[in-house]
Amino acid sequence: MNVLIAGGGRTGARLANLLINQNYKIQLVENRRELLGYLHQELPTELIYEGNPVDPSVLEAAGIRDVHALAAVTSNDSTNLAICYLGKTLFDVPRTIARVNNPNNAWLFNQNFHVDVSLNSADVFAHLIQEEMSLGDMMTIFKIRRGNYSVIEEKVPEGAKAIGIPLKDMDLAEHCVIAAIIRDGVMALPRGDSTLQAGDEIIAVASPEGAQKLSDFLAFPVYPMRHGKKEPH
Amino acid sequence: MNFIVVGCGRVGAELCYHLFKRGHQIVVVDINKEAFNRLHPDFRGRTLEGEGLAEGVLERAGIHEADGLAAVTNSDTLNAVVAHAARIIYNIPNVVARNYDPNLRAVIEAFGLQTVGSTYWGAQRVEELLMSPSQRMVYSAGNGEVEVYEVQIPEKWDGHTLEELLEPLKQCYPVALSRAGHSLLPESTLRLQASDMLDVSSTFEGIGALTERLSKGLEA
Repeated sequence: MNVLIAGGGRTGARLANLLINQNYKIQLVENRRELLGYLHQELPTELIYEGNPVDPSVLEAAGIRDVHALAAVTSNDSTNLAICYLGKTLFDVPRTIARVNNPNNAWLFNQNFHVDVSLNSADVFAHLIQEEMSLGDMMTIFKIRRGNYSVIEEKVPEGAKAIGIPLKDMDLAEHCVIAAIIRDGVMALPRGDSTLQAGDEIIAVASPEGAQKLSDFLAFPVYPMRHGKKEPH
Repeated sequence: MNFIVVGCGRVGAELCYHLFKRGHQIVVVDINKEAFNRLHPDFRGRTLEGEGLAEGVLERAGIHEADGLAAVTNSDTLNAVVAHAARIIYNIPNVVARNYDPNLRAVIEAFGLQTVGSTYWGAQRVEELLMSPSQRMVYSAGNGEVEVYEVQIPEKWDGHTLEELLEPLKQCYPVALSRAGHSLLPESTLRLQASDMLDVSSTFEGIGALTERLSKGLEA
């Protein structure tokens, strides 16, 4: 698979390395002098094309007509939008992916500018943090489909509501599937009539609603007291 | 009418003042509030500090009621993206994007936007005046690819027809002929007189060829 990466900042360089290790054929376009020196140390020189990535003649010379995907990851949102638009309208790139730098600009990253997928690092990161805070001991192992579904791991605490209830009666099916139960270090694939015990660890695939529902079933019976703080009267 | 001007640099500030003097309502947007110091002291209009790409900024600038938007920052991609969004998302009927770097003109053209390249246009005008100070450009279309020039008919073409003068010139068409204070739509059979003022629509190459032909005469 051929990929053109427009922008050689930290994101572009990291992406290039990742793709090279997976045997993708890449070309990275960058024109900022201050970055090029560093890029030439990081990446094989023949993969770097020096030029303004929004200039159609530069994109063409860098081989955009042969790529399967275009990643616009410069630090400038209007540049990323223009690159995706040019990629589709002038060069028929099958798939465009753009980085959103300022969340206020995210509303433009759609088909109006021929952006197939946009990634907003501030937003993704903020949601991850919020999830960590709201879902107690639940840990997200990884996200599927751009963050809509997650694979999560959680420990079943003493006294949790879920203990002793057969999984099929927990009414999770629509949003959440419990894929594994780890008990005393041994993994088992659960069935509908399996039940949970305190101390079990479970691995589940869940939507945000499913994760919330699961979290309710696995919550501590009493909200845990914070250390060093007096209980409010 | 209601106009939004994105970018308050030299072009933006000048444009705001022109529109204001014609009685229009202006909102001028710039990311840097110091930029508003460039506005003419007599200018009355709304200034709005913020990034032209942000939905909230465009809404506060009154994009739903705008009759036209000009994106005239010194970033070609920002101009193209703001202008495209105004046209596609808000259906603004009249949208113009400034082309700042002549090397990136193709970017704005790819969006199919009306564009003015002040850098390119300025350079071309200076070049024209340097090369041939005698002709006067009276109108410039698009980005200056086609312009209307006024030339004076010299003695040596007196009595010849317009067709004889223009026939071999490929990129030069007659628009008007002025004689003794009156103008007319010139026919190809019209006989020229010395001191006639002829307006032609022409490319830069075309006007060069016409100037040369006027000075050399028919035999050349």
